Amino acid sequence: MKIVVGIKQVPQADSVKIDPQTNNLIRSGIQGVINPFDKNAIEAALRLRAQAGGEVILLSMGPDSYVTSLRDGLAMDADQAVLVSSRALGGADTLATGYTLAKAIEAIGDVDLVLLGRQSVDADTGQVGPIVAAYLGLPQVTFAESISLESANTIIAKRQLDTVIQDIKVTTPAVITVRSELNRPRYETPVNIKQSFDKAVTVWSETDLNLDPEQIGQAGSPTKVTSVYAPEKKGRQTTTLPTDPTQAVVELLNKLN
Amino acid sequence: MTVIEDQNRMLIQMVKEFTANELAPLDMEIDQKGDYPAGLFQRVIDNGLLKITLPSQYGGAGFDYTAAADALNKMAIGNASMAVTLEGHFKTIEQFTKYGQPSLNDKYLPSAGHRIFAFSMTEPSGGSNPKGISTRAVKQGDNWVITGDKIMITNGGLAEVYCILSKTEDDQMAVFVVDKDMPGFQFGKREDFIGLRGTPVGEVVLDHVVVPADHLLGKVGQGLEIGDNAHADARVLMGAILAGIIEHELGIAINYSKERKALTTPLYQLQVIQEKIADIAIARQNTRALYQKGAQQKVANQLYAETAAMAKSYGSRAAVRSGDEALQVLGGYGYSREYPVEHLIRDARAMELAEGTIEKMNLEITNAEIAK
Amino acid sequence: MDNNEIWVYVELSGSRIEPTSLQLITKAKAIADGRPVVAVIPEATTVQAETIVSQYGPDKIEILVDDRFAEATDEEVSDALFQVMDKQRPNTLLFPATILGRSIAPRLQAKLQTGLTGDCLDIYFKDTLLVQVKPTYGDNIMCDIVCPDRRPQMATVRPNTFRAVQDSSATTKIEKPIFEFHKEEAASILSTKPIINSSANISDAKTVIALGRGAYSEKNVKLANQLAAKLGGMVGVSRPLTDKPEFGHDDQIGQSGNTIAPDLLINLGISGAVQYAVGIKNAKKVVSVNTDKDAPIFAQSDFAYVGDATEFLTAMLGQVR
Repeated sequence: MKIVVGIKQVPQADSVKIDPQTNNLIRSGIQGVINPFDKNAIEAALRLRAQAGGEVILLSMGPDSYVTSLRDGLAMDADQAVLVSSRALGGADTLATGYTLAKAIEAIGDVDLVLLGRQSVDADTGQVGPIVAAYLGLPQVTFAESISLESANTIIAKRQLDTVIQDIKVTTPAVITVRSELNRPRYETPVNIKQSFDKAVTVWSETDLNLDPEQIGQAGSPTKVTSVYAPEKKGRQTTTLPTDPTQAVVELLNKLN
Repeated sequence: MTVIEDQNRMLIQMVKEFTANELAPLDMEIDQKGDYPAGLFQRVIDNGLLKITLPSQYGGAGFDYTAAADALNKMAIGNASMAVTLEGHFKTIEQFTKYGQPSLNDKYLPSAGHRIFAFSMTEPSGGSNPKGISTRAVKQGDNWVITGDKIMITNGGLAEVYCILSKTEDDQMAVFVVDKDMPGFQFGKREDFIGLRGTPVGEVVLDHVVVPADHLLGKVGQGLEIGDNAHADARVLMGAILAGIIEHELGIAINYSKERKALTTPLYQLQVIQEKIADIAIARQNTRALYQKGAQQKVANQLYAETAAMAKSYGSRAAVRSGDEALQVLGGYGYSREYPVEHLIRDARAMELAEGTIEKMNLEITNAEIAK
Repeated sequence: MDNNEIWVYVELSGSRIEPTSLQLITKAKAIADGRPVVAVIPEATTVQAETIVSQYGPDKIEILVDDRFAEATDEEVSDALFQVMDKQRPNTLLFPATILGRSIAPRLQAKLQTGLTGDCLDIYFKDTLLVQVKPTYGDNIMCDIVCPDRRPQMATVRPNTFRAVQDSSATTKIEKPIFEFHKEEAASILSTKPIINSSANISDAKTVIALGRGAYSEKNVKLANQLAAKLGGMVGVSRPLTDKPEFGHDDQIGQSGNTIAPDLLINLGISGAVQYAVGIKNAKKVVSVNTDKDAPIFAQSDFAYVGDATEFLTAMLGQVR
């Protein structure tokens, strides 16, 4: 089974702040780490590889510094990594990112399964998985909380909606995005950390992939961010409920919904 | 960043994550139970932590001593016992790679990724003063026959391979490697210590254990040198562990003094509290500087025994005193067994004794300074 | 370039209408400023969600009826929506930021080749552009995002951000646009089962009823457990109760116990010492019940009830379905 895991590098949790003067994100000095949900996707891929054999290929789009995250994935025991990196790809929104990743997956070729984390912890969009699936014309399971290999080319995944849980069967090739409930990602072991530096990290640019310049980077991104700011800090505003217990509860339940 | 720096950063991150998830939540339980919970040590093995310093030709990761010391420093912030267990293993591996014969290393070191190796000097008749050693090694054909009683061995009972400081018939000192599966090998009693309660410290009794000639580390007569070398290697790592304990103490004091208020003022805004927090922070920094210097000197093939002795001498005192100050910041809660400060003091106290007492450290430091 | 309409996707689970869809209809009407509000419902024949949806007063409802929508895949739904939207592109298309909404919307986005902003906390028009207010970095940073050139302007909006209000004054036209249900061969929903909530650890619980010394009695423990069972939550305690026979250290909330982050926390007879406060600061909504009107816990609460815990619990049990 040839599995591609899409990963994203994100700033270390809770370290991102807004400069109160300029209203810009303060990014300097923040260590990039692999998006936590993507670790669940890598773990799922490694377990499927243990079951079915094959290869786990990490795929990311971003600046050269994203090799840090790819290396982390390799140290979890993935086989190789691909980074799509070029100035022309900068400023991509989810649509342009999804297009670029889909093209890279086509270039990798003969991919049976694409796994991604349910969303990134920085942008919180969760859109890239379904966009990649749409571009590749593949079936999708989003927010999977279990994945089981039913046969060489069928997977049954569970997806929890608000009130129900679905069993979804897909025929590979397919795209699956995973929740953290799916598994507990393994640690990078000391030996694997050392060996990860012997594994291949291939870097592709937009020309290597023959990307349409109109569909990548800023040009290929329909959305624009017009402003970035810190949310208003709300302390808890205490509402005092009526003294009659029933009235209190009725008012409470009303306001809670 | 160089590749090595990148690899070291990844190792530290891995150890931090492992510690946060697997060790720190059990820190109190380990102290209270006086042992590692079932399965914990297996997780340490399964995640390759015994292989940090083991050279790659034996299936290890081959990280250098600075990386290993930094790793144990991070681990000790969450749980000092497990860090000491690894310290005992790492320092022993160092003696194999430095003094072991190739045939012995080929036979034993590949198993060091899943079996703990230990180094033992102390005997019931005396402290770690090797002159009073009564364990005997008698040459018999190509083999050596070893008989004796070793106590207070770090990881005694948990470890499977032991380096034994012995005297030969001609009263020379030598170190031999014995395996727990050899006939005549027996475990004795485990100590009931007041600190580092997860780390097993125990006794090994050898009754005519026969080992092949290549189980001799170095040469006959090199026993004391190897013992000193093992001490220095241990003390660098203990300095790292002590810096970790102080870091833990500092974290507790800071968190508490931010949350707890005297009337409306958070404690940390009070000068008396600031004095304590600053003292602890300085102690942390000094201990860190000492152990890192020792590790760097070792990696650079410079003399490091004196710095190692300083790291442990200074660090152990500083960690006990810092624990006491952190306890005072927490007031009555600090004195409660429900909070970890009191056990950190007990943990740190162990290192004023282990691998040579503070007095022995200070003697060695003084001798080294006078000789300069 | 577009037909000026605001469309809202109506999400169904069986015959249950996702409340966020109704909330979005009300919100869309509030910001419409003359733009028609259209609800689009892919549904099975028997569901007829339009009868309820029309009570919220959209100008128009587009129903896509096919029994296979009862268990349709993300691709089948987004394909059907694409068919009705591709030619006459609405100005705006809103989805609930539910699991389903967040799965279908981006797939449709790629087909429509337009922009989508996920998990918005607010939306409003500035001239012709829909300003989509989105939190990022775990709600630590807010972004205003627009989609200047392509239509529809798509957004998913976080549940319970707005209130749904019925509106009987509007007349709702119901239409059945032409579309074809394309069965997706490579995927199928094998089964759909209700969720049984079994959160075993208090730090993961979505609802927590916390008992303190001020409310401890055999009866209150029983009532609190009943309420927790009804709300699918768990009972926790402050430090003084950990030595009671019913509770242990695992149940403790606070500095030397568990840190919790439930959607709803109900504190009963808890004074609110600093050691406790540390453990609850990540709770979303905090309700506190205490007989002492000056108890520090009230300052850390969204709702305060000064009174008896037993009476409050009994009233809750009576009112919660």
